[in-house]
Amino acid sequence: MSELKVGVLSCSGEECLGGTISRLATRQVLEELKMVTTVTLCLPLYLAGGQEERNFAKVFPTISVDGCDKLCAKRSTEKYSGKITGFIDVSKIIGKENALNTKIVRNKDLTDEHLQMVDDVASEIVKMISQMSPDSYEGKSFRGCSCGSE
Amino acid sequence: MDKKVKVIPCSGIGKVFGLMAREAVLKTVIELCPETSETVCLAHIVTGDTEAKAKIEGLDCITVDGCPKMCASKNVSAAGGILIEEIKVLDTVKEHKGKKFGSPTMLDADGEDVISEIAMKIKERIT
Repeated sequence: MSELKVGVLSCSGEECLGGTISRLATRQVLEELKMVTTVTLCLPLYLAGGQEERNFAKVFPTISVDGCDKLCAKRSTEKYSGKITGFIDVSKIIGKENALNTKIVRNKDLTDEHLQMVDDVASEIVKMISQMSPDSYEGKSFRGCSCGSE
Repeated sequence: MDKKVKVIPCSGIGKVFGLMAREAVLKTVIELCPETSETVCLAHIVTGDTEAKAKIEGLDCITVDGCPKMCASKNVSAAGGILIEEIKVLDTVKEHKGKKFGSPTMLDADGEDVISEIAMKIKERIT
């Protein structure tokens, strides 16, 4: 039986809280979601890597998770790798003021409020994945690795 | 002209070394050198936006990479940043063989110790 895999790509932006939340929520989904296998890619690998990395969104139905409305992960993925399946703007979930807060925090300093934001965004990612129909992504393998091999 | 040195990690999401790069940079810009350094979203640089390029073009930058692919270094260089130092997390990690650093989500105590060392190296280069 072929294994269903979904790509989740976060911006992991360093300048504001939204990026931190996007990274942690993506990690949470990668570690905890059991209904499908989730895979990810370091966003800057689109430029630093090769064709394998650029095949990512061609191979996997992919969701981008962006910390702010610049939507860097979404736009970079579509520029280098192909059309994405869905996107999440963290600022729409945790509020623009929180997302753009430039008082950045290290992981060890995260508060319960921050962790709740992570949970909220992770829930939205899971919801989006659960609404995806594998049949609707013609041409995508849903298995194998991001280089396109089976 | 903005005199703050731009310190930019790869923030790699698949292995602990990416988190170590990110946390070392955040420790530097938040705790050690808040007056003389700041970070910039690498993801914004990757978009190739003019606005993103303007944040680093012609300015002193230090990159911190978690793996040999050197994503931060390559992207910053491609966007016109002046690389005054390219720090490799693995160079410091090699000096701590056998230790557990944590996961790509959270660092353990040993991971914190190592990123403190890396942050000190960044600080030395800034000052």
